[in-house]
Amino acid sequence: MNEELVKVELNRLNMHLPRNRISLMDALRSENPFVITKSGKIHSFDRKELEELAKLVDDKEAEKLMLPILIEINPSLGRGTARISGSLESKVISSILKREPANELLIYRPEIAELRRRFPTTTCYVFISGIT
Amino acid sequence: MAMPSATSQTRMELINLRKKLVLAQRGKDLLQEKMDALVMEFFYIAREVTYAKKVAFKSLEEAHRLLTVCLGVNGTLETLQHMREVKKDFKVEISSKLIMGVETPLVTVHAREKKVTERGYGLYTSNPLLDKVAEKFEETLKYLCKLAELESSLLAIAEELEKTKRRVNALEHVIIPEVKETIRMIEMKLGEIERDNFVRLKRMKTLRERR
Repeated sequence: MNEELVKVELNRLNMHLPRNRISLMDALRSENPFVITKSGKIHSFDRKELEELAKLVDDKEAEKLMLPILIEINPSLGRGTARISGSLESKVISSILKREPANELLIYRPEIAELRRRFPTTTCYVFISGIT
Repeated sequence: MAMPSATSQTRMELINLRKKLVLAQRGKDLLQEKMDALVMEFFYIAREVTYAKKVAFKSLEEAHRLLTVCLGVNGTLETLQHMREVKKDFKVEISSKLIMGVETPLVTVHAREKKVTERGYGLYTSNPLLDKVAEKFEETLKYLCKLAELESSLLAIAEELEKTKRRVNALEHVIIPEVKETIRMIEMKLGEIERDNFVRLKRMKTLRERR
């Protein structure tokens, strides 16, 4: 087995992640809100989604909420389970999914589907391999 | 059954292979998660495409029906003349959004509802039927842009899904069984050496006792 190939494949899984995230407030101020991914591609945010997110947080929180919101997929959590880290991110996602707010949120497949359906550009998957 | 690759049958190799197995299984799990996520996106977009297609085609049908009536009432030549006079200021901005590394288009239509006087053709020679046709086609164009965005996304996701599935299959049916088989072979070989040593020691002990 070529070990390097598997490692390359695992690294490739997260190439869509942004190099730098931007705050919701900055995204709202920008005429064309976007981030540059690790692969060098441009990922644009839909303004409607940004406006919908802005309704869920106040101005102070909008400065702190970094986009895209990361949906962490880790096989150790079990298949179809994802984690939302960060208290502000969890608060926003809880209010979207109408769940009790928590510091760290575990969400399941139907909820991931709902989240991705409503916020396809402002959320993004991150695959945690645990292998360096 | 996968054939084990030619490797030295040592304890060190066994440790390395076990590490490789963990890596391959981890890779398979993650790729499977990616595949699940892609399937979810695929079905969601497929549903959207069906709906968008229905709306766009209905609107297009209505626009063509109105155009036919307009051609009949105003005359073909007059209508064609008015069509040539229409201002072409329909602006579309195409950016991209990424769904797990799959680049999909994000089409934004910058078009507002136009007044009759803004379309460019003369009001004196045209009639309200032509306005309706123009309005309907403008509306249809927006639906078609949305449909194009969704269909391109669907195709891109389907391609990525196929690639990911191939990788998962390779790991699940070729690489992992191959490593497992090699591990089993080495374990058997090492077990045999251990038993060999054990029997030899026993034999030596018996011989020593006999003396």
